Amino acid sequence: MNRRAFLKSAGAVAALGAVPSIVRAQAKEVKVGYILPVTGPLAFEAQLSLNGLQLAVDEINSAGGIKALGGAKLTLLPGDTQNKVELGNSEAARLIDQGISVLIGPFSSLVAYSVRQVAEKNKTPFMLLAAVADNLTEGGLRYVFRVQPNGKAMSTLTMNNMLEMGKAASTPIKRVAMMHEDGNFGTTMGNHVEAFAGKLGYALVQRIPYSLKSPDFTAELSKIKASKPDLLVISGYYGDSKIIAETAAKLRIGVHALVGLANAAYSNPKFIADNRDLTDQLFDGNYWHNPQSPRAKAVFAAYEKRFNSTLTSHGVQAYTVIGVLKDALERAGSTDRDKLRDALSKTNLADHILPQDAIKFDDTGENINATPALLQVQNGRPVVVGPARFAEAKPVFPVPKWHG
Amino acid sequence: MTADLLLQAVVSGLLLGGVYGLVASGLSLVFGVLRIINFAHGAVMMLAMYTTYWLFTLAGIDPYLSIVVTGPLFFLIGMAIQRVVIEPNRFAAEHNQLLLTLGLALFLENLALVLWQGDFRSVRPSYAGASFVVGEALVEVPRLIACGGAIVMALALFAFLRLTDVGKAIRALSEEPEGAMLMGIDVGRIRAVAFGIGAGCVAVAGALVTPFFYVAPDVGESFNIIAFVVVVLGGMGNFVGALLGGFIVGLAESLGATLLPGSLKQLVVFGLFVLVLLFRPAGLFGGGRDR
Repeated sequence: MNRRAFLKSAGAVAALGAVPSIVRAQAKEVKVGYILPVTGPLAFEAQLSLNGLQLAVDEINSAGGIKALGGAKLTLLPGDTQNKVELGNSEAARLIDQGISVLIGPFSSLVAYSVRQVAEKNKTPFMLLAAVADNLTEGGLRYVFRVQPNGKAMSTLTMNNMLEMGKAASTPIKRVAMMHEDGNFGTTMGNHVEAFAGKLGYALVQRIPYSLKSPDFTAELSKIKASKPDLLVISGYYGDSKIIAETAAKLRIGVHALVGLANAAYSNPKFIADNRDLTDQLFDGNYWHNPQSPRAKAVFAAYEKRFNSTLTSHGVQAYTVIGVLKDALERAGSTDRDKLRDALSKTNLADHILPQDAIKFDDTGENINATPALLQVQNGRPVVVGPARFAEAKPVFPVPKWHG
Repeated sequence: MTADLLLQAVVSGLLLGGVYGLVASGLSLVFGVLRIINFAHGAVMMLAMYTTYWLFTLAGIDPYLSIVVTGPLFFLIGMAIQRVVIEPNRFAAEHNQLLLTLGLALFLENLALVLWQGDFRSVRPSYAGASFVVGEALVEVPRLIACGGAIVMALALFAFLRLTDVGKAIRALSEEPEGAMLMGIDVGRIRAVAFGIGAGCVAVAGALVTPFFYVAPDVGESFNIIAFVVVVLGGMGNFVGALLGGFIVGLAESLGATLLPGSLKQLVVFGLFVLVLLFRPAGLFGGGRDR
């Protein structure tokens, strides 16, 4: 009998009433605090995350709660950041005062960078949601955990996926051009793509940062066309990414593929629905679920039934974070923040819906196996085409339409 | 740097320049007549783009055809805004009027955010992807139509200002407000008409760009800031100057993107702006009064 099986049977015995006094003495509730920008400009996206949290919490509670805590239920305590740093800090502090065992959030990297200090000072595990900036886990903090890939993992693994695909299709990718928005997000991605050029064996022939407010990219893309790249990588938001794809198509840009890097448009179902012919066969390296997982299918169905919309990658992340939390609570057998933190750091969770191996954290709190999926729009739907073992369809590569 | 790239930069710069010119014309006209800097100009453009989007999405009306609805509609909306918001503050200090239009812009943008959320929308009619090649330069059909439409609209407006009584009254008011009043011109009405025309111009510009652009609550900002540069370049209140200024800024932007690395094209535009303010503060083509 291994340790986990022992705990399970011990828990079962406890639940059957062998030691009823102890069970009654334990907390019947685990307070889970979240801070999200549920009002303000990011309200729509924040709601998608919140839906994912709620779905996971209700699923766990209706299946009998946390068994190691005598069936304690998870209770979500809300905090609204409005995407502001000072509100993030004060809401986090308020929730910690209310006795939460763990803090989840806060969507934006800027808010996260500040809140992580509040969590650290109060020795409260802080599970990041959506925030991608690499530096959030830097600085020797012990209480920060991040399940999804950070900017570095996102860019290097996406580039790697594309290079592998090129090799498999006997159309090697040697020359890469990149366009990225000139804010924090795009610049971080651009820096990684540039830094990894030598290591991954491609040449970055053009790197063009641009302002989100620019209404025309013909001159920039003409310059890229003249440098004859094999691949055009784009890190941007919705409007700019649309104009870039449109102009690239008209210019007959002559690359083997257009690939988004954490792009806000290229795997966005709404963008694809609005721009069917334009989006066909676009690639995007982004957060996603594992389409091979039967459990993912069940989660999608449950979400659809409850919220009458399709589960998004934000919801998948949130759902997964609660799963990781549950696993840690079962092993910690306590709502104590320090015990929970130690249990989180020893996470080795294979039962999840992400396109990756077991979720494990390194010393800084990053999920060492975190992987973005490589998606391609096929028949009006983003499908996973890489990494190969999670793929649900074969990639179309090279893409003929970009050659005109 | 090859000749092909330069040719492409000139073509795409001129195509966008026409739209800049039309947006700036409305702004310039409003400044000439009302002597206010209208920060809400871009927000009105955004509302017109949403109108175009909804007409296309709900009623299937072609974006260009929808101009016959959006143009007059926003002319009336502009007149109403002037009557209700601007006119009562006509004698307020200049900085207060500035804050007033800025507040109006914020109000309209947030109204759009409440009504239609922050997500981006796009209109994609069948001809959105159409293009042809001249020499080695690509010409995108929707951008060509937008530029042509902007020029036609600007010329029509120019003729209106030259040939009709209302147009002459607008010019009179812009050149000599007190004289105009003494001549028996109903200056209150003319101010409202001028503001309405400004809003109508930017609404037409909004409809013209929608097929190759996207719609979002803050979309007007992309054009608004450029329009200020254009207006200063062409001379505050100078209507023709605004159109020419539009072409100059469009060219400067795309040549900047071709010749300079990265996001420096914005630098070219705003560098030009500072230079004009330093050496030709009345604009390249003179102010409205000596037009």
